[in-house]
Amino acid sequence: MTTSSTTLAAGGSPARGKRFPTHSPMERVRRRVFWPFVLPALAGMVIFYFAPIVFVAWLSLNKWSGFGPMRFVGTANYQQLWLDPTFTTSIVNTFKILVIVGVITFVLAFALTLVLRQMTGKHFVRSVLFFPNLINALIFAIFAGMLFNPNGLVNTALHWVGITDAPKWLAPDNQFTLIMAILIWSSTGYFTSIIMSGVDQIPPYYYEAASLDGAGPIRQFFTVTLPLSWDVVSVCAILWTMSSVKVFELILVFGGTRASSPNSQNWTTAIYVYLSAFQANAGRAFGLAAAAALVSLALVAVLTLGLRRLLRREAIEL
Amino acid sequence: MTSVTRALTTAGSRRRRTLRSSGSKTGVAGWIGRAMVWLVVAFNIFLIAWMVVSSLRSTVDYLRQPLGLPVPPHLENYANAWTIGDFGVAFLNSASVTLISAFFAVAIAAPAAYALSRSTRWIAPKITAAFALGLGVPGQVLLIPIYIGLAQVQQNTGIPLIDSQLGLTIVLIGLNLPFTVFLLTGFFASLPGEIEEAAALDGASGIRTFVTIMLPLARPGLTTAMTLAAIGSWNETLFSLVLLTDKSTRTLPIALIQIMNSAAFNGADWGSIFAGMTLMVLPLLIVYTWLGRRIVAGMTVGAGK
Repeated sequence: MTTSSTTLAAGGSPARGKRFPTHSPMERVRRRVFWPFVLPALAGMVIFYFAPIVFVAWLSLNKWSGFGPMRFVGTANYQQLWLDPTFTTSIVNTFKILVIVGVITFVLAFALTLVLRQMTGKHFVRSVLFFPNLINALIFAIFAGMLFNPNGLVNTALHWVGITDAPKWLAPDNQFTLIMAILIWSSTGYFTSIIMSGVDQIPPYYYEAASLDGAGPIRQFFTVTLPLSWDVVSVCAILWTMSSVKVFELILVFGGTRASSPNSQNWTTAIYVYLSAFQANAGRAFGLAAAAALVSLALVAVLTLGLRRLLRREAIEL
Repeated sequence: MTSVTRALTTAGSRRRRTLRSSGSKTGVAGWIGRAMVWLVVAFNIFLIAWMVVSSLRSTVDYLRQPLGLPVPPHLENYANAWTIGDFGVAFLNSASVTLISAFFAVAIAAPAAYALSRSTRWIAPKITAAFALGLGVPGQVLLIPIYIGLAQVQQNTGIPLIDSQLGLTIVLIGLNLPFTVFLLTGFFASLPGEIEEAAALDGASGIRTFVTIMLPLARPGLTTAMTLAAIGSWNETLFSLVLLTDKSTRTLPIALIQIMNSAAFNGADWGSIFAGMTLMVLPLLIVYTWLGRRIVAGMTVGAGK
């Protein structure tokens, strides 16, 4: 058995032999199954990710309603986007979600990590706070309508404590603030879990040493916790960038509006693409939607790369 | 310095005491923090409970007083949601789309992840990176091309893909691939290689090694991957909204959007809406209480390392 496998291994093709001089039996078996194992998934990636991205790039340079031939228009779709105030709002909103919601969520998640570190029942708390992250945000959008409408639960509760002049929560101008609050509430648990998994890997003797040197919890956080979990922080920033561009369900039916016409002050890029391609009154503007889609992809790409640059530190070996 | 820290690590009991005492020094801030955390926890639990309780109250009762007990329980809300609100069809559609797409996503991703995690080829890390790149692509970028592609294939082959469960299932399998491959590559890489080596020496083929040795070993990872793919598919809204328009093909999120749309015209049957939302959330809650630890670990795995 062993003899035959060594002879076979020695008889590998010269090209392979050059790159991989030693072929153990396992290595040979692995090499034989590599492509049959990888190709189906890779084909799926090409069909559902790479080809669509190429197509969307091409489509964004055309006008097309889905019927008849496409008409090449160059950058006209991008110019139209640039002049469309709704698109500008969508981009601004996406950035608001990225920066404002992102920063508050991070601060809260770190504060929570500090509080949870020494708290009884921390696993229970963590799993309860994590759960909203698993629920379709449509539910929260509808909840918002139920809780914050003039006769809703919040105002009922406020009435009990004697407040009768509650603000108009769902007035168009207030909606986006409420949307951001809901995003903070629903994503803090997720990022807390990630940060805690990083913080848990910090050996306790660092805290020992720090507290022997007289550092209080706040000082310990900045000199021990934050530097030693920096990798996790940068990963969180990138994860948040990716998910902030995908915010869709919450806006779509926020406060119980119809899905075909969410308040235009609340739009994000995802909503913009969906509505201009599939709900536009003037027919399907596939080219325009494709351009908006490509802008949102560029946004993710640039921000992710930028953040990686910005947050890169030398890894600290624990 | 090092000897001091080392001495301290061995003294486990003393370590705990020091931490406690340093915690109690900031008593006030700490207690306020804890109180607020418990308040949010209570709020989350209250929301779920309120949804379930309200799903058992009549719309008239709910409108009169949003807080209240379900006496007598109005189970007809569920019957109404199931039949009039089409949540019954939607529930079954969602369940089948979710289970089938999660199974096939893992069935396709697992061999790839295994091969990628074990391969020494120069191209393997590049392919792994290509899968990881897919994680960052927002759905709206893929929406229009996939819709057009499905329509084209349907036109040319006659296979129903638009407004069909089949079309959405295939799309969800494809969309789930990057995360599933990403998660499982990490998981397979953490499994020891010695057993495979023994199998290879015994002359087992690659496929046989994978199926009889690696898959059983990887069962926890496969369960996690399948659960996360299922949760993603269960909640998927953007593609479902575009691909499913007919009542008979709708999934739960789309049924919920539809009932909200018609509520804007005809007044809302809140009882059915709460029942529909409960149908959407309760299965997740059950899976979460059952597999919660794995779900959290799976969703934070890439980040923690």
